[in-house]
Amino acid sequence: MSAANPAAFGWWSARNRLRGVSSRSHFPLLMTCVVFLLIYIAACLRYRGFFSLQVAVNLIGDNAFLGIAAIGLTLVILCGGIDLSVGAVIGCTSIFVATMTEHRGWSPALAVGVALAAGTALGVVQGMLIHFFELPPFLVTLGGLFLCRGLGLLISRESVAILNPLYVKLSSWSLPLGGHATFPLVGVLFVALLCIVSYVAAFRPIGRYVYAVGGNEQSALLMGLPVARTKIGVYAFAGFCSALAGIAVTLYTSSGNALTGSGLELDAIAAVVVGGTLLSGGVGGPIGTLVGVLIFGVIQSAIAFEGTLSSWWARIAIGILLLGFILLQKLLQPERTNP
Amino acid sequence: MIKRLAITALLFAGLLAGCDKTSESKQEGGKKSLVVGFAQVGAESAWRTANSKSIKDEAAKRGIELKFVDAQQKQENQIKAVRSFIAQKVDAIVLAPVVETGFEPVLREAKQAGIPVVLSDRRADVTDDSLYATFIGADFIEEGRRAAKFLVVKTGGKATIAELQGTPGSAPANDRKKGFEEIIKDHPDMKVVLSQTGDFTRAKGKEVMEAFLKSPEGKNINVLFAHNDDMALGAIQAIEAAGLKPGKDIIIVSIDGVKAAFEAMAEGKLNCTVECNPLIGPQVFDLVEKAVAKQAVPKRIDVQEGIYTEEQAKEALPTRQY
Amino acid sequence: MNAVGGTIPVLDPPAAKAPRAKVRASGAMATVLYPTIALALLLLFNLLFTAGFFHVEVRDGRLFGSLIDILNRGTPVLLLSLGMTLVIATGGIDLSVGAVMALAGAVAACLIARPEDSPLHVFNVSHSLPLILIIALSVALLAGLFNGILVATFKLQPIVATLILMVAGRGAAQLVTNGQIPTFQHPSFEFLGSGFLFGLPFPLILAVLIFLVILGFVRGSALGLLIEAVGNNPVAARLAGVQASGVKLVCYVISALLAGVAGLIATADIKAADVNNTGLYLELDAILAAAIGGTSLAGGRFSLVGAAVGALVIQTLTTTILARGIAPELTLVIKAAVVVALCLLQSSKFRELLVRIAIRRRA
Repeated sequence: MSAANPAAFGWWSARNRLRGVSSRSHFPLLMTCVVFLLIYIAACLRYRGFFSLQVAVNLIGDNAFLGIAAIGLTLVILCGGIDLSVGAVIGCTSIFVATMTEHRGWSPALAVGVALAAGTALGVVQGMLIHFFELPPFLVTLGGLFLCRGLGLLISRESVAILNPLYVKLSSWSLPLGGHATFPLVGVLFVALLCIVSYVAAFRPIGRYVYAVGGNEQSALLMGLPVARTKIGVYAFAGFCSALAGIAVTLYTSSGNALTGSGLELDAIAAVVVGGTLLSGGVGGPIGTLVGVLIFGVIQSAIAFEGTLSSWWARIAIGILLLGFILLQKLLQPERTNP
Repeated sequence: MIKRLAITALLFAGLLAGCDKTSESKQEGGKKSLVVGFAQVGAESAWRTANSKSIKDEAAKRGIELKFVDAQQKQENQIKAVRSFIAQKVDAIVLAPVVETGFEPVLREAKQAGIPVVLSDRRADVTDDSLYATFIGADFIEEGRRAAKFLVVKTGGKATIAELQGTPGSAPANDRKKGFEEIIKDHPDMKVVLSQTGDFTRAKGKEVMEAFLKSPEGKNINVLFAHNDDMALGAIQAIEAAGLKPGKDIIIVSIDGVKAAFEAMAEGKLNCTVECNPLIGPQVFDLVEKAVAKQAVPKRIDVQEGIYTEEQAKEALPTRQY
Repeated sequence: MNAVGGTIPVLDPPAAKAPRAKVRASGAMATVLYPTIALALLLLFNLLFTAGFFHVEVRDGRLFGSLIDILNRGTPVLLLSLGMTLVIATGGIDLSVGAVMALAGAVAACLIARPEDSPLHVFNVSHSLPLILIIALSVALLAGLFNGILVATFKLQPIVATLILMVAGRGAAQLVTNGQIPTFQHPSFEFLGSGFLFGLPFPLILAVLIFLVILGFVRGSALGLLIEAVGNNPVAARLAGVQASGVKLVCYVISALLAGVAGLIATADIKAADVNNTGLYLELDAILAAAIGGTSLAGGRFSLVGAAVGALVIQTLTTTILARGIAPELTLVIKAAVVVALCLLQSSKFRELLVRIAIRRRA
């Protein structure tokens, strides 16, 4: 966690460190994609109307805010940390932006700008606490979760509809894809962010620093990498992404609600992990997270299309599908070289 | 590796085989029936489960194919569900919004797709009324008012009140509080001295009431207003544990009217519950069928609701279904 | 947390066992010190500013007061945090404890009340309390085995492995009660949650007994050492011949069993199985308690006593907030401040900083 301790989820990290960053490290990602496709095809075969461009596009559009938050979280986890505050930051941001534009007469641009800055600042503070005082990220960001959830409720207990014409226009804008299918703005935001982060993570020095610090913080330090900057940077970026996700929610719903995104941190962590990023840090990437988010989306859509499950069977089904998926992923991975 | 691939293929085949079987059984129904999507809030209380059951039973009775989705109290899940209903081209959508705001974009999509939407239980706050066909449900503010009015009569306008709020930020908690305060403010001798959230649960209701009774202000409490029955039922246990008599030493009023509350009232431990009727399945589908047939329906239908006191509870108890 | 990679202790050879035990004891003292200070500070605050907080009286032969409430209400989180501590020490995490609480409670309630729409209606065991407890705890045990096997045998990442049961377990609990909240009257079962023995709440006595048993079991046998070995350095532990998967399995089973007991207490307390809310988000409190108690979230070092103190800190905070009538919106902000303050208190870097500032002032 705060230190790149190989003991955390040891077997995984040990194995992957042995293997190193080789072409084989892309294999799990490939297999995750294969499993996603299998599930998607199964759903298409099973449900009438599932195989349509709009349903496929909805998978991205409906989960865009989860995805945006998960991308920030991916970098934190890659760096060997964790951020539990994402869901609460989303709620807090959405109610802040809505209240400011509706009740205080701020221009949307100002509200959005302040929200993004505040999210980033929270990330910086969390990162500094974690790095300089060697506090466990789990606890610090849990504090962040409580703080933001509380602040959100302090801003307004009641949800606020956004009627600002500019905001409404942005919220209803979507990219026509031909036919009846359209791609909403939040989806565009998500895809754009994903492209940028994937590029940076793979090809820019700062991206390699993240992997290096997550792989082994001490080695990174000895090699003279800017460990402090990298660690604080990923938390700041995660805070930024969470705030952005909160703004995506306001675009998605044209409203703000302090309770939005409660429990979302777990969905996001699960999406990141299912996407092949190891909680011990150093292995994985944003593309995997995209697949993880899509897998959750497919499971949810499939249950909506099924439509006959009671509340409890739906929960059990999500559990079983998740289990089946993870075991399948496990099964498809190459045999361990060193049991 | 080959072995693993083989197992995977087998599993996949099994999955598909499973699918075929269920889709066959589904087609046994035969003729083309109405398909209705229902986006429910969750299964967070006995009230909600009764509501889901009422709607499911009524759909089955009328031969309507119901697509049921439980949003687990998350708005984003509910929006996804509505969009998947639109993608499935259902004939109508029933939506019980988690919160009042935030459904405008998705309702607009439903309208563009020509699918009528019936709102149940909670209103959706939209600028354009034409986005939904009708709203059927209770008025949370009115429930709060009724609880307060009962107390005014019962206590003669003099009360030291403890309040157990619902989940902070949720619509019933906000509105019930608002309605209650609206009436109370005209009675200077009625004061809410303690107010905390009990998250709509029994356990929290009990824990918070325990703490209330030990606080300095707690000694004077003679009225408890709980935003739902579950919290009141938990609080009753705490009051008993403190050696006081619920219903006598402390007057208790709550909202919902679940069966357990009637049992408590029959024992004299609860004084009043404001009913919030979940059994609206028949009314909902009357409206759905009219909306699909493009007949005119009123924009707002109030569910008939009663207020029950302990005197009426014994008679009403055997007929309670939830 | 351990400092950077290099300071991770390697499993000592058996010969070095005695001195290590000593080091461990003094280390344990230090880890328990800070949560205890936090607890003392909270209590001091209440002593000074919350009227009647320390007032304990005897009513109907029972102790009655806020302090008793803290001990009584703190038991579920205390039990969960013990199991969580062991699981975390092996380098894992158990998110499913809240759901397992709900599941065990649902099974017990349905066996007692036998509602007609529950699938458990066919079992007619409502006359036998031991049988009810055994069945409910067996279900919890199965849940623990499920988690343990996924983590130990299938080597899934613990956070996802237990997430499965966190989602599905609550679903299973709803399935058992058919979505209802079954209520029951069963004096001997209710005793488990709201009974009093020697003037003290029975859950408290039960929790203390369980705490002592676990402490004896873990520290009295080699299990404690094995857990630390597995959590600290799994590779070294394997080379030293430790069956890591067995150790992990045991820890997950203990965690689930304790969650089962906590669920029974919570259910007996409110005389109803509120499956949707029993234990909801308590996994976070349990993890928090373990971490406050000085257990490293990366695995290895752990302290059961610390976890118990941590659980009391959390409950004292909650009870304080309730007793002082703080608005619910502020509650979370205060919680945040306390969590961060507790973290800082435990950070040696932060304490060094404080000392440095103090010295500079004096100079």
